[in-house]
Amino acid sequence: MKKKLTISGMHCASCAANVERSLKKINGVKSASVSLLTKKGFVESDEDISDDEIRKAVARTGYRLEKIEGE
Amino acid sequence: MDKEKMKEHDELHHHNLEIDEEMESSEEKELIQWRRKLIWAWILAIPIALFMFSERLFGIFLFNEQVTGILILILAFPVIFIIGFGTIKGGLTGVSHFYFNMDSLISLGTIIAYLTGIFSYFGFVKDYSGISAMIMAFFITGKYVEALARGKATSEIRKLLELGAKNARILRGKNEIEIPVSEIKFGDVMIVRPGEKIPTDGIVVRGESSVDESMITGESLPVDKIIKSNVIGATINQDGILYVKATKIGKDTFLAHIINLIEEAQGTKIPIQKLADRITNIFVPAILIIAISSFAVWAVLSRDISKAVGIGISVLVIACPCALGLATPISLMVSSGMGAKRGILIRKGEAIQTMKEVKTIVFDKTGTITQGKPEVIRIYPEKSKERIIEVSASLENLSEHPIARAIVSEAEKIGIRNFKKVSGFKILRGRGLEGDLSGKEVVIGNLDLMKERGISLEKFRDEIEEFGERGYTTMIVAENKKILGIIGVADALKEDSISAIKSLNERGYRTVMITGDNLKTAKTIAEKVGIKEVIANVLPEDKEKKVIDLQRSGMVAFIGDGINDAPALKQANVGIAIGTGTDIAIESGDIVLANGSLSNVVSAINLSKATFRKIKQNLFWAFAYNTIAIPLAIAGLLNPVVAEIAMALSSITVVSNANLLRRNKI
Repeated sequence: MKKKLTISGMHCASCAANVERSLKKINGVKSASVSLLTKKGFVESDEDISDDEIRKAVARTGYRLEKIEGE
Repeated sequence: MDKEKMKEHDELHHHNLEIDEEMESSEEKELIQWRRKLIWAWILAIPIALFMFSERLFGIFLFNEQVTGILILILAFPVIFIIGFGTIKGGLTGVSHFYFNMDSLISLGTIIAYLTGIFSYFGFVKDYSGISAMIMAFFITGKYVEALARGKATSEIRKLLELGAKNARILRGKNEIEIPVSEIKFGDVMIVRPGEKIPTDGIVVRGESSVDESMITGESLPVDKIIKSNVIGATINQDGILYVKATKIGKDTFLAHIINLIEEAQGTKIPIQKLADRITNIFVPAILIIAISSFAVWAVLSRDISKAVGIGISVLVIACPCALGLATPISLMVSSGMGAKRGILIRKGEAIQTMKEVKTIVFDKTGTITQGKPEVIRIYPEKSKERIIEVSASLENLSEHPIARAIVSEAEKIGIRNFKKVSGFKILRGRGLEGDLSGKEVVIGNLDLMKERGISLEKFRDEIEEFGERGYTTMIVAENKKILGIIGVADALKEDSISAIKSLNERGYRTVMITGDNLKTAKTIAEKVGIKEVIANVLPEDKEKKVIDLQRSGMVAFIGDGINDAPALKQANVGIAIGTGTDIAIESGDIVLANGSLSNVVSAINLSKATFRKIKQNLFWAFAYNTIAIPLAIAGLLNPVVAEIAMALSSITVVSNANLLRRNKI
């Protein structure tokens, strides 16, 4: 499973690093990467992770999940 | 799909499109926001500076000390808490969840500085509230300049995102109607006039034209399109009207795949960045601890709380995780943009670093060094060329074999359109074909077939041998047991194969060609392009093993078409998938070359190396900045405002330096 996220509000490198760290803490996530420059994140997991869980993980760090797309 | 569902589907699509448009301009919105904040911040910060320094500047106090203090507190409040609201909010939200970011540092620095303005009334500490407004104003200025530079760094990629056509004219029944691209359905026929963008991927069903595909593949010459040609959405029709049946829509289009690839690539990690990332992760908490310790140590040692507070603030605002964290991704971004313009798509950031270790470059033959489809190269005797082609094309037109296609397209090229009627047509598997053409018995095929039919090769022996030596597949054309002539068919080299491989040889790469052909044919081609090492007779599934063998003597880059060569591309240290337009497997390969030309292999190597150098430079400056600036701040040698300016400059420097990557010729 791969999901593409659009995240708003990040404007420094540690912001992106924080979101990435927070996403990796979700149970079942294999890999997560967040780019400050494109404001996109990619989450890869074995099982299906609910959008809500991802939304919470992003909100926890102080940013907003604008859009989520499955592949 | 029933109507209800279809409507739902459409709405969903439409909805996505709207959001997409919003996202596209988010970069600009951010810039406008920072600019507005910048103007307001300075409108308030300049009077504050005048009050603060009036004595030094004009030798007089504009107001007495107490009034000045109150005025500054009043003016600084909106700078920190209204104009800086976003920063303060972001910084503090993170802190409450233990996710610290740069905003946390600025927030703490400015809030503490502001509060000293209130505490100073009780005589605890010097008033830093004016300083707090200055810090925020410089912080915002820095962010604005950084956003400007970042906008430049991301400009090519943003252009790519905005490349898609907005509207399409489609044929519904006999009517031509205009609809948004998101409403195009599979199988709709789109009408594309000269100068218009092709709305989505499709196949030409009527019309002829040439299409400018440079924005997608980097191919600078327009590509001819006729019936049954594939066209790519977002490319521009040049001179004729094309009727195009939509074959891919929405996120399945070639452009959507490219955009996705680039966005995904930005998140991939380059090994050299690991240390910087690890530091970025713990940077802010570490700085908080250092700031508190500096404050405590100075407070105890100097017994001067005011000085200790100033130093604490300096440490908080001088530390810059951005320079470190941006060093690599901003370089990768500029590099991706430069590449995308020429059809070089960097899919995995890691390839940039690995590329400089590569010693051996392995080329697949068919479709990589050569065009990938056979062509008629020579006909003997030259003078009866038309007749030979006319006779053979009439028969070959009934076959689907690639060699038959080559002969038919040669016939079309020299203007033969109407083929003669054939009776008694028969395909002789592996040998050739035969049939009757206006009462004459025609046989076309290889040497074995001629011998089998007892046809004498006498006058043609030398030529047949010569064709063989040149690596041609030779078709012998006989009419009533007498040879008319011979046709040499071969997979022609791509135009720039020779120059590209020459340039790689000159740089000291070990170049190797791998192919399923027999050694003789393979060697002929290898010699022509200047490759010394040939691995022939390789079954497609064994290419991967050959790559493993080659890897024993160093890192290997494999260049192949990405469809048959996917396992070899994956096995290689750097896999470069090459193809033309939509005939390319984007998902295989660390680097994807969207137009077939081999000279892009050279460009991709140049780009990788230049990018890696830039990343190293940036990381060096970012590390150097922090290791020098933070101790200076701890030592109390930097005023908090100077510290903030230094911080802003450090991240601007990193972004601007990445932009300098464009100076490299690739």
